Amino acid sequence: MSKIHIIKGEFEKSLELQLANSIKAGFPSPAEDYRHDSLDFNRDLIKHPEATFYGRVDGDSMVEAGINDGDIAIIDRSVEPEDGDVIVAFVNNEFTIKYLDLSHKADGYIELRPANANYKPIRIHDTDNFEVWGVVVWTIHNWKK
Amino acid sequence: MYGIIDCDNCYVSCERVFRPDLEGKPVVVLSNNDGCIVARSNEAKKLGIKAGLPFFQLAQQFPDQKIAVFSSNYELYGELTARVVEIVRQEAPQYFRYSIDECFVRLDAMGDADLKQWGEALHRRVRRSVGMPVSIGIAPTKTLAKVASHFAKRHSGYRHCCYIDSDEKRRKALKLFPIEDVWGIGGRYTAKLKRYGVNTAYDFASKPKEWVRAAFGNIVVERTWAELNGIDCIADEAMAAKKSICTSRSFNGMITDLDTLRTHVSNYAARCAEKLRAQNTVASVVGVFVNTNFFRDDLPQYQQFAELTLPTPTSSAITIVKAAGDLLASIYKPGYHYKKAGVIVMGIGAASPIQLNLFDINAEQFQRLKKLDAVVDRINRLHGTETVILGSQQYATRDGNGKADVFANAIKHDFRSKNPTTRWNDIIRLK
Repeated sequence: MSKIHIIKGEFEKSLELQLANSIKAGFPSPAEDYRHDSLDFNRDLIKHPEATFYGRVDGDSMVEAGINDGDIAIIDRSVEPEDGDVIVAFVNNEFTIKYLDLSHKADGYIELRPANANYKPIRIHDTDNFEVWGVVVWTIHNWKK
Repeated sequence: MYGIIDCDNCYVSCERVFRPDLEGKPVVVLSNNDGCIVARSNEAKKLGIKAGLPFFQLAQQFPDQKIAVFSSNYELYGELTARVVEIVRQEAPQYFRYSIDECFVRLDAMGDADLKQWGEALHRRVRRSVGMPVSIGIAPTKTLAKVASHFAKRHSGYRHCCYIDSDEKRRKALKLFPIEDVWGIGGRYTAKLKRYGVNTAYDFASKPKEWVRAAFGNIVVERTWAELNGIDCIADEAMAAKKSICTSRSFNGMITDLDTLRTHVSNYAARCAEKLRAQNTVASVVGVFVNTNFFRDDLPQYQQFAELTLPTPTSSAITIVKAAGDLLASIYKPGYHYKKAGVIVMGIGAASPIQLNLFDINAEQFQRLKKLDAVVDRINRLHGTETVILGSQQYATRDGNGKADVFANAIKHDFRSKNPTTRWNDIIRLK
Protein backbone atom coordinates (compact mmCIF):
# COMPACT_ATOMS: atom_id res chain seq x y z
CA MET A 1 0.00 0.00 0.00
CA SER A 2 1.37 3.36 -0.86
CA LYS A 3 1.12 6.24 1.49
CA ILE A 4 0.41 9.83 0.71
CA HIS A 5 1.85 12.49 2.89
CA ILE A 6 -0.13 15.67 2.99
CA ILE A 7 2.09 18.69 3.17
CA LYS A 8 1.11 22.29 3.47
CA GLY A 9 2.02 24.29 0.43
CA GLU A 10 1.56 27.77 -0.77
CA PHE A 11 0.75 28.34 -4.41
CA GLU A 12 -0.40 31.91 -4.53
CA LYS A 13 2.87 33.69 -4.92
CA SER A 14 3.93 34.53 -8.40
CA LEU A 15 7.48 34.15 -9.52
CA GLU A 16 9.02 37.45 -10.35
CA LEU A 17 12.49 38.42 -11.33
CA GLN A 18 14.09 41.21 -9.38
CA LEU A 19 13.56 44.16 -11.63
CA ALA A 20 16.56 46.28 -12.23
CA ASN A 21 15.83 49.95 -12.28
CA SER A 22 18.21 51.75 -10.02
CA ILE A 23 21.50 51.50 -8.26
CA LYS A 24 21.51 48.63 -5.80
CA ALA A 25 24.08 46.80 -3.81
CA GLY A 26 25.00 43.57 -5.53
CA PHE A 27 25.52 39.95 -4.43
CA PRO A 28 22.66 38.57 -2.28
CA SER A 29 19.15 39.94 -2.53
CA PRO A 30 18.21 41.54 0.79
CA ALA A 31 14.58 40.50 0.17
CA GLU A 32 15.55 36.85 0.61
CA ASP A 33 15.81 37.26 4.40
CA TYR A 34 12.22 38.41 4.72
CA ARG A 35 10.44 35.70 2.78
CA HIS A 36 8.22 33.67 5.05
CA ASP A 37 8.70 29.98 5.50
CA SER A 38 5.67 28.32 3.85
CA LEU A 39 6.54 25.81 1.20
CA ASP A 40 6.58 27.48 -2.14
CA PHE A 41 7.03 25.64 -5.42
CA ASN A 42 8.42 28.73 -7.12
CA ARG A 43 11.08 29.07 -4.48
CA ASP A 44 11.76 25.42 -3.70
CA LEU A 45 11.53 23.75 -7.12
CA ILE A 46 12.90 26.52 -9.29
CA LYS A 47 16.45 27.09 -8.15
CA HIS A 48 17.51 29.37 -11.00
CA PRO A 49 14.54 31.51 -12.13
CA GLU A 50 16.71 33.48 -14.54
CA ALA A 51 17.66 30.25 -16.33
CA THR A 52 14.29 28.46 -16.14
CA PHE A 53 11.99 27.93 -19.12
CA TYR A 54 8.86 25.86 -19.61
CA GLY A 55 7.91 23.39 -22.31
CA ARG A 56 4.77 21.39 -23.16
CA VAL A 57 5.31 17.70 -23.92
CA ASP A 58 3.94 16.83 -27.34
CA GLY A 59 3.62 13.08 -27.95
CA ASP A 60 4.41 9.84 -26.14
CA SER A 61 8.12 9.30 -26.81
CA MET A 62 8.93 9.49 -23.07
CA VAL A 63 5.80 7.78 -21.75
CA GLU A 64 7.67 4.92 -20.04
CA ALA A 65 9.64 7.49 -18.05
CA GLY A 66 6.34 8.81 -16.72
CA ILE A 67 6.41 11.84 -18.98
CA ASN A 68 3.07 12.11 -20.78
CA ASP A 69 1.59 14.03 -23.64
CA GLY A 70 0.53 17.47 -22.38
CA ASP A 71 2.78 17.52 -19.32
CA ILE A 72 4.63 20.70 -18.48
CA ALA A 73 8.41 20.37 -18.30
CA ILE A 74 10.44 22.73 -16.13
CA ILE A 75 13.74 23.28 -17.90
CA ASP A 76 16.84 24.70 -16.20
CA ARG A 77 19.47 25.86 -18.66
CA SER A 78 22.08 26.60 -16.02
CA VAL A 79 22.70 23.06 -14.77
CA GLU A 80 25.37 20.96 -16.42
CA PRO A 81 23.79 18.04 -18.34
CA GLU A 82 24.98 14.65 -17.14
CA ASP A 83 24.65 11.11 -18.42
CA GLY A 84 21.10 9.83 -17.80
CA ASP A 85 19.50 13.26 -17.39
CA VAL A 86 16.23 14.07 -19.15
CA ILE A 87 17.15 16.93 -21.44
CA VAL A 88 15.72 19.21 -24.11
CA ALA A 89 17.64 19.54 -27.37
CA PHE A 90 16.95 21.15 -30.70
CA VAL A 91 17.24 18.45 -33.39
CA ASN A 92 15.90 18.45 -36.96
CA ASN A 93 14.23 21.80 -36.49
CA GLU A 94 12.26 20.91 -33.39
CA PHE A 95 12.70 20.77 -29.65
CA THR A 96 12.82 17.23 -28.36
CA ILE A 97 12.71 15.78 -24.84
CA LYS A 98 14.83 12.63 -24.32
CA TYR A 99 17.26 10.85 -22.03
CA LEU A 100 20.85 11.94 -22.56
CA ASP A 101 23.12 8.93 -23.08
CA LEU A 102 26.80 9.81 -22.96
CA SER A 103 28.06 6.23 -22.59
CA HIS A 104 29.33 6.07 -26.19
CA LYS A 105 31.17 9.37 -26.13
CA ALA A 106 34.52 7.57 -26.42
CA ASP A 107 33.23 5.94 -29.64
CA GLY A 108 32.55 9.37 -31.14
CA TYR A 109 28.81 9.68 -30.69
CA ILE A 110 26.13 10.34 -28.10
CA GLU A 111 22.49 9.28 -28.07
CA LEU A 112 19.19 10.89 -27.20
CA ARG A 113 17.11 7.95 -25.97
CA PRO A 114 13.30 7.84 -25.93
CA ALA A 115 11.39 5.98 -23.22
CA ASN A 116 9.06 4.18 -25.61
CA ALA A 117 9.87 1.03 -27.62
CA ASN A 118 8.10 2.50 -30.68
CA TYR A 119 10.75 5.19 -31.07
CA LYS A 120 14.39 4.91 -32.08
CA PRO A 121 17.23 6.67 -30.31
CA ILE A 122 18.62 9.75 -32.04
CA ARG A 123 22.35 9.29 -32.64
CA ILE A 124 24.49 12.42 -32.80
CA HIS A 125 27.92 12.05 -34.37
CA ASP A 126 28.98 15.64 -34.76
CA THR A 127 29.02 16.44 -31.06
CA ASP A 128 31.01 19.63 -31.73
CA ASN A 129 27.96 21.51 -32.92
CA PHE A 130 25.45 19.77 -30.72
CA GLU A 131 24.18 21.59 -27.68
CA VAL A 132 21.85 20.49 -24.94
CA TRP A 133 19.30 23.31 -24.78
CA GLY A 134 18.42 22.68 -21.15
CA VAL A 135 18.01 20.04 -18.45
CA VAL A 136 14.50 18.96 -17.41
CA VAL A 137 14.37 19.26 -13.62
CA TRP A 138 10.66 18.59 -13.06
CA THR A 139 7.57 17.63 -15.04
CA ILE A 140 4.02 18.48 -14.02
CA HIS A 141 1.11 16.24 -14.92
CA ASN A 142 -2.47 17.34 -14.57
CA TRP A 143 -4.72 14.64 -13.07
CA LYS A 144 -7.98 16.43 -12.29
CA LYS A 145 -9.36 17.45 -15.66
CA MET B 1 36.80 50.37 -12.18
CA TYR B 2 33.71 50.10 -14.40
CA GLY B 3 32.32 47.39 -16.58
CA ILE B 4 29.65 47.44 -19.24
CA ILE B 5 27.71 44.36 -20.17
CA ASP B 6 26.26 44.70 -23.62
CA CYS B 7 23.97 42.15 -25.35
CA ASP B 8 25.32 41.28 -28.81
CA ASN B 9 22.75 42.14 -31.51
CA CYS B 10 20.22 41.99 -28.70
CA TYR B 11 16.90 41.49 -30.51
CA VAL B 12 18.36 38.97 -32.95
CA SER B 13 19.93 37.04 -30.08
CA CYS B 14 16.57 36.98 -28.24
CA GLU B 15 14.88 35.48 -31.31
CA ARG B 16 17.61 32.86 -31.61
CA VAL B 17 17.06 31.58 -28.06
CA PHE B 18 13.94 29.75 -29.29
CA ARG B 19 15.22 29.27 -32.84
CA PRO B 20 18.65 27.69 -32.40
CA ASP B 21 18.52 26.71 -36.09
CA LEU B 22 19.13 30.38 -36.96
CA GLU B 23 22.53 30.39 -35.26
CA GLY B 24 25.11 31.39 -37.87
CA LYS B 25 22.49 32.55 -40.39
CA PRO B 26 21.45 36.04 -41.48
CA VAL B 27 18.61 37.33 -39.27
CA VAL B 28 17.01 40.79 -39.11
CA VAL B 29 14.41 42.32 -36.79
CA LEU B 30 12.04 45.04 -38.00
CA SER B 31 10.93 48.22 -36.27
CA ASN B 32 7.40 48.78 -34.99
CA ASN B 33 4.93 48.42 -37.82
CA ASP B 34 7.47 46.35 -39.78
CA GLY B 35 8.84 49.59 -41.23
CA CYS B 36 12.59 49.15 -41.38
CA ILE B 37 15.43 47.03 -40.10
CA VAL B 38 16.48 47.80 -36.52
CA ALA B 39 18.63 44.79 -35.63
CA ARG B 40 20.93 42.56 -37.68
CA SER B 41 22.88 39.44 -36.97
CA ASN B 42 26.61 39.52 -37.80
CA GLU B 43 25.85 37.43 -40.90
CA ALA B 44 23.26 39.99 -42.04
CA LYS B 45 25.79 42.80 -41.45
CA LYS B 46 28.33 40.88 -43.54
CA LEU B 47 25.85 40.66 -46.43
CA GLY B 48 25.84 44.46 -46.42
CA ILE B 49 22.34 44.95 -44.99
CA LYS B 50 22.33 48.41 -43.44
CA ALA B 51 20.49 49.40 -40.26
CA GLY B 52 17.43 51.47 -41.11
CA LEU B 53 16.89 49.84 -44.50
CA PRO B 54 13.15 49.93 -45.26
CA PHE B 55 11.80 46.39 -45.15
CA PHE B 56 10.25 46.51 -48.62
CA GLN B 57 13.72 47.15 -50.09
CA LEU B 58 15.23 44.07 -48.46
CA ALA B 59 13.91 41.60 -51.04
CA GLN B 60 14.81 44.01 -53.88
CA GLN B 61 18.39 44.52 -52.73
CA PHE B 62 19.12 40.96 -51.62
CA PRO B 63 17.01 38.85 -53.96
CA ASP B 64 18.90 35.56 -53.75
CA GLN B 65 19.57 35.51 -50.02
CA LYS B 66 17.78 33.50 -47.38
CA ILE B 67 17.28 36.00 -44.58
CA ALA B 68 15.15 35.29 -41.51
CA VAL B 69 12.88 38.26 -40.75
CA PHE B 70 11.12 39.00 -37.45
CA SER B 71 8.74 41.74 -36.37
CA SER B 72 9.92 43.26 -33.11
CA ASN B 73 8.60 41.43 -30.04
CA TYR B 74 9.36 43.67 -27.06
CA GLU B 75 7.50 41.37 -24.67
CA LEU B 76 10.13 38.71 -25.36
CA TYR B 77 13.11 41.10 -25.43
CA GLY B 78 12.08 42.73 -22.14
CA GLU B 79 11.75 39.39 -20.40
CA LEU B 80 15.05 37.90 -21.61
CA THR B 81 17.08 41.05 -20.94
CA ALA B 82 15.61 41.23 -17.41
CA ARG B 83 17.09 37.75 -16.88
CA VAL B 84 20.48 38.99 -18.07
CA VAL B 85 20.30 41.91 -15.63
CA GLU B 86 19.32 39.53 -12.81
CA ILE B 87 22.50 37.52 -13.40
CA VAL B 88 24.55 40.73 -13.46
CA ARG B 89 22.93 41.71 -10.14
CA GLN B 90 24.06 38.42 -8.64
CA GLU B 91 27.61 38.65 -10.01
CA ALA B 92 28.54 42.30 -9.51
CA PRO B 93 28.83 44.40 -6.35
CA GLN B 94 26.93 47.31 -7.92
CA TYR B 95 25.06 47.68 -11.18
CA PHE B 96 22.84 50.13 -12.98
CA ARG B 97 20.88 49.42 -16.09
CA TYR B 98 21.55 51.86 -18.86
CA SER B 99 19.26 50.66 -21.65
CA ILE B 100 17.37 47.56 -22.69
CA ASP B 101 20.56 45.84 -23.77
CA GLU B 102 23.28 47.54 -21.69
CA CYS B 103 24.10 47.45 -18.02
CA PHE B 104 26.95 49.24 -16.22
CA VAL B 105 28.63 47.74 -13.18
CA ARG B 106 31.00 49.22 -10.61
CA LEU B 107 33.74 46.81 -9.74
CA ASP B 108 35.85 48.63 -7.12
CA ALA B 109 34.54 46.34 -4.37
CA MET B 110 35.96 43.31 -6.18
CA GLY B 111 39.40 44.07 -4.73
CA ASP B 112 42.18 42.30 -6.58
CA ALA B 113 39.95 39.70 -8.21
CA ASP B 114 41.00 38.89 -11.77
CA LEU B 115 38.46 41.01 -13.59
CA LYS B 116 39.29 39.56 -17.00
CA GLN B 117 38.48 36.09 -15.67
CA TRP B 118 35.37 37.46 -13.98
CA GLY B 119 34.12 38.94 -17.26
CA GLU B 120 34.74 35.76 -19.22
CA ALA B 121 32.90 33.72 -16.59
CA LEU B 122 29.99 36.18 -16.63
CA HIS B 123 29.76 35.82 -20.40
CA ARG B 124 29.65 32.02 -20.07
CA ARG B 125 27.00 32.09 -17.37
CA VAL B 126 24.68 34.46 -19.28
CA ARG B 127 25.17 32.52 -22.50
CA ARG B 128 24.44 29.22 -20.81
CA SER B 129 21.53 30.36 -18.60
CA VAL B 130 19.64 32.72 -20.89
CA GLY B 131 21.12 31.87 -24.30
CA MET B 132 22.18 35.50 -24.75
CA PRO B 133 25.69 36.35 -25.97
CA VAL B 134 27.07 39.41 -24.15
CA SER B 135 30.27 41.41 -24.52
CA ILE B 136 31.99 42.92 -21.52
CA GLY B 137 34.26 45.94 -21.45
CA ILE B 138 36.16 46.86 -18.29
CA ALA B 139 38.10 50.12 -17.77
CA PRO B 140 38.69 52.97 -15.29
CA THR B 141 35.86 55.11 -16.77
CA LYS B 142 32.47 54.40 -18.31
CA THR B 143 33.49 55.87 -21.67
CA LEU B 144 36.63 53.69 -21.81
CA ALA B 145 34.56 50.66 -20.77
CA LYS B 146 32.36 51.30 -23.81
CA VAL B 147 35.47 51.42 -25.98
CA ALA B 148 36.64 48.13 -24.46
CA SER B 149 33.27 46.46 -25.11
CA HIS B 150 33.57 47.31 -28.82
CA PHE B 151 36.86 45.42 -28.94
CA ALA B 152 35.36 42.51 -27.01
CA LYS B 153 32.57 42.35 -29.58
CA ARG B 154 34.70 42.55 -32.69
CA HIS B 155 37.68 40.34 -31.93
CA SER B 156 37.07 36.79 -30.80
CA GLY B 157 40.56 36.70 -29.27
CA TYR B 158 39.24 38.64 -26.27
CA ARG B 159 36.84 35.78 -25.44
CA HIS B 160 33.99 38.33 -25.02
CA CYS B 161 35.76 40.43 -22.38
CA CYS B 162 38.24 43.25 -22.97
CA TYR B 163 39.95 44.82 -19.96
CA ILE B 164 41.82 48.10 -20.35
CA ASP B 165 44.02 47.82 -17.26
CA SER B 166 47.08 49.88 -18.20
CA ASP B 167 47.81 53.23 -19.81
CA GLU B 168 49.63 51.44 -22.59
CA LYS B 169 46.49 49.43 -23.42
CA ARG B 170 44.38 52.57 -23.22
CA ARG B 171 46.54 54.38 -25.78
CA LYS B 172 46.65 51.37 -28.06
CA ALA B 173 42.88 50.95 -27.96
CA LEU B 174 42.16 54.64 -28.56
CA LYS B 175 44.52 54.76 -31.56
CA LEU B 176 42.46 52.05 -33.24
CA PHE B 177 39.12 53.57 -32.30
CA PRO B 178 37.24 55.82 -34.78
CA ILE B 179 36.10 59.08 -33.20
CA GLU B 180 32.51 58.64 -34.43
CA ASP B 181 32.11 55.46 -32.36
CA VAL B 182 33.02 57.16 -29.08
CA TRP B 183 30.16 57.19 -26.56
CA GLY B 184 28.72 60.71 -26.30
CA ILE B 185 30.31 61.97 -29.52
CA GLY B 186 27.98 60.55 -32.15
CA GLY B 187 27.08 62.28 -35.39
CA ARG B 188 26.65 65.68 -33.80
CA TYR B 189 30.30 66.42 -33.09
CA THR B 190 32.02 64.02 -35.51
CA ALA B 191 31.92 66.31 -38.54
CA LYS B 192 33.41 69.22 -36.59
CA LEU B 193 36.12 67.06 -35.01
CA LYS B 194 37.11 65.64 -38.39
CA ARG B 195 37.49 69.14 -39.77
CA TYR B 196 40.12 69.65 -37.06
CA GLY B 197 41.86 66.47 -38.17
CA VAL B 198 40.57 64.40 -35.27
CA ASN B 199 39.89 60.94 -36.68
CA THR B 200 40.51 58.59 -33.78
CA ALA B 201 39.65 58.66 -30.10
CA TYR B 202 43.39 59.04 -29.48
CA ASP B 203 43.60 62.20 -31.63
CA PHE B 204 40.82 63.67 -29.49
CA ALA B 205 42.21 62.57 -26.12
CA SER B 206 45.63 64.05 -27.03
CA LYS B 207 44.23 67.56 -27.54
CA PRO B 208 44.80 69.97 -24.65
CA LYS B 209 41.82 70.61 -22.43
CA GLU B 210 41.84 74.31 -23.36
CA TRP B 211 41.46 73.39 -27.01
CA VAL B 212 38.43 71.23 -26.30
CA ARG B 213 36.85 74.00 -24.23
CA ALA B 214 37.51 76.67 -26.84
CA ALA B 215 36.36 74.57 -29.79
CA PHE B 216 33.16 73.22 -28.22
CA GLY B 217 32.34 75.05 -24.98
CA ASN B 218 30.23 72.03 -24.15
CA ILE B 219 30.34 70.14 -20.86
CA VAL B 220 29.35 66.80 -22.43
CA VAL B 221 32.22 66.90 -24.93
CA GLU B 222 34.62 68.00 -22.20
CA ARG B 223 33.58 65.13 -19.94
CA THR B 224 33.99 62.65 -22.77
CA TRP B 225 37.50 64.00 -23.36
CA ALA B 226 38.34 63.61 -19.66
CA GLU B 227 36.91 60.10 -19.51
CA LEU B 228 38.99 59.04 -22.51
CA ASN B 229 42.00 60.24 -20.52
CA GLY B 230 41.04 58.00 -17.63
CA ILE B 231 39.36 60.64 -15.44
CA ASP B 232 36.09 59.27 -14.07
CA CYS B 233 33.50 62.07 -14.30
CA ILE B 234 30.15 60.81 -15.60
CA ALA B 235 27.97 60.33 -12.51
CA ASP B 236 26.09 57.08 -11.95
CA GLU B 237 22.95 59.02 -11.09
CA ALA B 238 23.02 60.66 -14.49
CA MET B 239 22.17 57.30 -15.96
CA ALA B 240 20.34 55.44 -13.23
CA ALA B 241 16.87 56.98 -13.24
CA LYS B 242 15.29 58.09 -16.47
CA LYS B 243 14.37 61.74 -16.33
CA SER B 244 11.45 61.38 -18.68
CA ILE B 245 9.56 58.63 -20.43
CA CYS B 246 8.29 59.12 -23.95
CA THR B 247 6.01 56.86 -25.94
CA SER B 248 5.43 57.92 -29.52
CA ARG B 249 4.82 56.39 -32.92
CA SER B 250 4.54 57.36 -36.54
CA PHE B 251 1.18 56.22 -37.87
CA ASN B 252 0.79 53.71 -40.65
CA GLY B 253 -1.00 56.24 -42.81
CA MET B 254 -2.07 59.75 -41.87
CA ILE B 255 -4.84 60.65 -39.44
CA THR B 256 -7.22 63.59 -39.69
CA ASP B 257 -9.89 63.04 -37.03
CA LEU B 258 -9.61 63.69 -33.31
CA ASP B 259 -11.19 60.39 -32.22
CA THR B 260 -8.59 58.21 -33.91
CA LEU B 261 -5.80 60.46 -32.67
CA ARG B 262 -7.23 60.22 -29.16
CA THR B 263 -7.14 56.42 -29.32
CA HIS B 264 -3.45 56.49 -30.20
CA VAL B 265 -2.59 59.11 -27.59
CA SER B 266 -4.56 57.20 -24.91
CA ASN B 267 -2.48 54.11 -25.63
CA TYR B 268 0.80 56.01 -25.47
CA ALA B 269 -0.31 57.55 -22.18
CA ALA B 270 -1.29 54.15 -20.77
CA ARG B 271 2.09 52.79 -21.86
CA CYS B 272 3.87 55.65 -20.07
CA ALA B 273 1.86 54.96 -16.90
CA GLU B 274 2.75 51.28 -17.13
CA LYS B 275 6.45 52.11 -17.48
CA LEU B 276 6.25 54.41 -14.46
CA ARG B 277 4.67 51.65 -12.38
CA ALA B 278 7.19 49.10 -13.59
CA GLN B 279 10.05 51.19 -12.21
CA ASN B 280 8.04 52.18 -9.13
CA THR B 281 7.96 55.88 -9.93
CA VAL B 282 5.39 58.62 -10.42
CA ALA B 283 5.36 61.60 -12.76
CA SER B 284 4.20 65.14 -12.11
CA VAL B 285 4.10 66.51 -15.66
CA VAL B 286 2.33 65.11 -18.73
CA GLY B 287 3.06 66.39 -22.22
CA VAL B 288 1.52 65.58 -25.61
CA PHE B 289 2.82 66.39 -29.07
CA VAL B 290 1.47 65.96 -32.58
CA ASN B 291 2.93 66.67 -35.95
CA THR B 292 2.06 66.37 -39.62
CA ASN B 293 4.14 64.64 -42.29
CA PHE B 294 7.17 66.87 -42.92
CA PHE B 295 8.01 64.99 -46.10
CA ARG B 296 4.76 66.05 -47.73
CA ASP B 297 5.43 69.63 -48.85
CA ASP B 298 2.16 69.46 -50.79
CA LEU B 299 0.18 69.38 -47.50
CA PRO B 300 -0.22 72.11 -44.88
CA GLN B 301 2.19 71.58 -41.95
CA TYR B 302 1.48 71.81 -38.24
CA GLN B 303 3.18 70.75 -35.04
CA GLN B 304 2.35 71.47 -31.45
CA PHE B 305 3.28 70.47 -27.93
CA ALA B 306 1.41 71.10 -24.70
CA GLU B 307 2.02 70.03 -21.14
CA LEU B 308 0.31 70.26 -17.79
CA THR B 309 1.36 69.68 -14.21
CA LEU B 310 -0.73 67.18 -12.31
CA PRO B 311 -2.07 68.19 -8.90
CA THR B 312 -0.49 65.04 -7.43
CA PRO B 313 2.36 63.03 -8.96
CA THR B 314 0.89 59.76 -10.18
CA SER B 315 1.39 56.60 -12.19
CA SER B 316 -2.35 56.00 -12.56
CA ALA B 317 -3.32 55.11 -16.13
CA ILE B 318 -6.74 56.73 -15.78
CA THR B 319 -5.31 60.06 -14.60
CA ILE B 320 -2.51 60.19 -17.16
CA VAL B 321 -4.75 59.06 -20.04
CA LYS B 322 -7.30 61.72 -19.11
CA ALA B 323 -4.65 64.43 -18.90
CA ALA B 324 -3.22 63.39 -22.27
CA GLY B 325 -6.69 63.41 -23.83
CA ASP B 326 -7.36 66.95 -22.56
CA LEU B 327 -3.97 68.13 -23.83
CA LEU B 328 -4.58 66.58 -27.24
CA ALA B 329 -7.98 68.29 -27.52
CA SER B 330 -6.28 71.61 -26.72
CA ILE B 331 -3.68 71.32 -29.48
CA TYR B 332 -5.67 69.46 -32.13
CA LYS B 333 -6.61 71.48 -35.19
CA PRO B 334 -8.87 70.06 -37.87
CA GLY B 335 -7.83 70.16 -41.51
CA TYR B 336 -4.37 68.66 -41.06
CA HIS B 337 -3.02 65.21 -41.89
CA TYR B 338 -1.27 64.01 -38.73
CA LYS B 339 1.63 61.59 -39.04
CA LYS B 340 2.92 61.25 -35.52
CA ALA B 341 1.89 61.77 -31.91
CA GLY B 342 3.52 61.10 -28.59
CA VAL B 343 3.12 61.35 -24.85
CA ILE B 344 5.94 62.37 -22.50
CA VAL B 345 5.83 62.12 -18.73
CA MET B 346 8.36 64.16 -16.75
CA GLY B 347 9.20 65.21 -13.24
CA ILE B 348 9.69 61.60 -12.28
CA GLY B 349 10.24 60.65 -8.68
CA ALA B 350 10.03 57.65 -6.38
CA ALA B 351 6.51 56.28 -5.97
CA SER B 352 6.22 56.61 -2.23
CA PRO B 353 5.68 58.48 -0.11
CA ILE B 354 3.66 60.73 -2.36
CA GLN B 355 2.60 63.97 -0.88
CA LEU B 356 -1.09 64.32 -1.42
CA ASN B 357 -1.73 67.79 -2.70
CA LEU B 358 -4.13 69.81 -0.58
CA PHE B 359 -6.08 70.84 -3.64
CA ASP B 360 -6.40 67.29 -4.86
CA ILE B 361 -8.22 66.35 -1.72
CA ASN B 362 -9.77 63.08 -2.76
CA ALA B 363 -7.32 60.76 -1.04
CA GLU B 364 -9.82 57.93 -1.05
CA GLN B 365 -10.21 58.16 -4.80
CA PHE B 366 -6.44 58.23 -5.15
CA GLN B 367 -6.08 55.00 -3.19
CA ARG B 368 -8.84 53.39 -5.24
CA LEU B 369 -7.09 54.28 -8.50
CA LYS B 370 -3.87 52.86 -7.15
CA LYS B 371 -5.56 49.57 -6.31
CA LEU B 372 -7.27 49.43 -9.69
CA ASP B 373 -3.98 49.94 -11.52
CA ALA B 374 -2.34 47.20 -9.48
CA VAL B 375 -5.13 44.78 -10.41
CA VAL B 376 -4.98 45.73 -14.10
CA ASP B 377 -1.20 45.30 -14.14
CA ARG B 378 -1.52 41.91 -12.51
CA ILE B 379 -4.17 40.67 -14.95
CA ASN B 380 -2.15 41.88 -17.92
CA ARG B 381 0.96 40.24 -16.57
CA LEU B 382 -0.73 36.90 -16.03
CA HIS B 383 -2.86 36.79 -19.16
CA GLY B 384 -0.80 38.79 -21.60
CA THR B 385 -0.46 42.47 -22.42
CA GLU B 386 -3.70 44.37 -22.99
CA THR B 387 -6.12 41.80 -21.62
CA VAL B 388 -7.67 44.71 -19.73
CA ILE B 389 -7.46 48.21 -21.22
CA LEU B 390 -9.28 51.50 -20.84
CA GLY B 391 -12.19 52.14 -23.22
CA SER B 392 -10.38 55.04 -24.85
CA GLN B 393 -7.49 52.73 -25.73
CA GLN B 394 -9.65 50.63 -28.07
CA TYR B 395 -8.63 50.70 -31.67
CA ALA B 396 -10.59 50.16 -34.81
CA THR B 397 -9.53 46.85 -36.35
CA ARG B 398 -7.01 46.97 -39.14
CA ASP B 399 -9.70 46.23 -41.72
CA GLY B 400 -11.70 49.11 -40.26
CA ASN B 401 -14.59 46.95 -39.02
CA GLY B 402 -15.74 47.67 -35.50
CA LYS B 403 -13.88 49.03 -32.55
CA ALA B 404 -12.86 46.08 -30.46
CA ASP B 405 -9.24 45.65 -31.18
CA VAL B 406 -6.14 46.40 -29.14
CA PHE B 407 -2.98 48.35 -29.81
CA ALA B 408 -0.92 45.25 -30.51
CA ASN B 409 -3.23 44.30 -33.38
CA ALA B 410 -3.57 47.78 -34.77
CA ILE B 411 0.11 47.89 -35.66
CA LYS B 412 1.65 45.65 -38.23
CA HIS B 413 3.65 42.69 -36.98
CA ASP B 414 3.38 40.04 -39.65
CA PHE B 415 6.51 38.18 -38.57
CA ARG B 416 6.25 38.31 -34.81
CA SER B 417 7.61 35.36 -32.85
CA LYS B 418 5.81 33.73 -29.93
CA ASN B 419 6.23 34.62 -26.25
CA PRO B 420 7.44 31.39 -24.68
CA THR B 421 8.49 33.08 -21.43
CA THR B 422 5.33 35.08 -20.74
CA ARG B 423 2.35 33.09 -22.12
CA TRP B 424 1.38 29.51 -21.37
CA ASN B 425 -0.04 29.02 -24.85
CA ASP B 426 3.32 29.93 -26.36
CA ILE B 427 5.65 27.70 -24.36
CA ILE B 428 7.89 25.51 -26.52
CA ARG B 429 6.57 22.13 -27.71
CA LEU B 430 8.75 19.15 -26.83
CA LYS B 431 8.54 16.18 -29.19
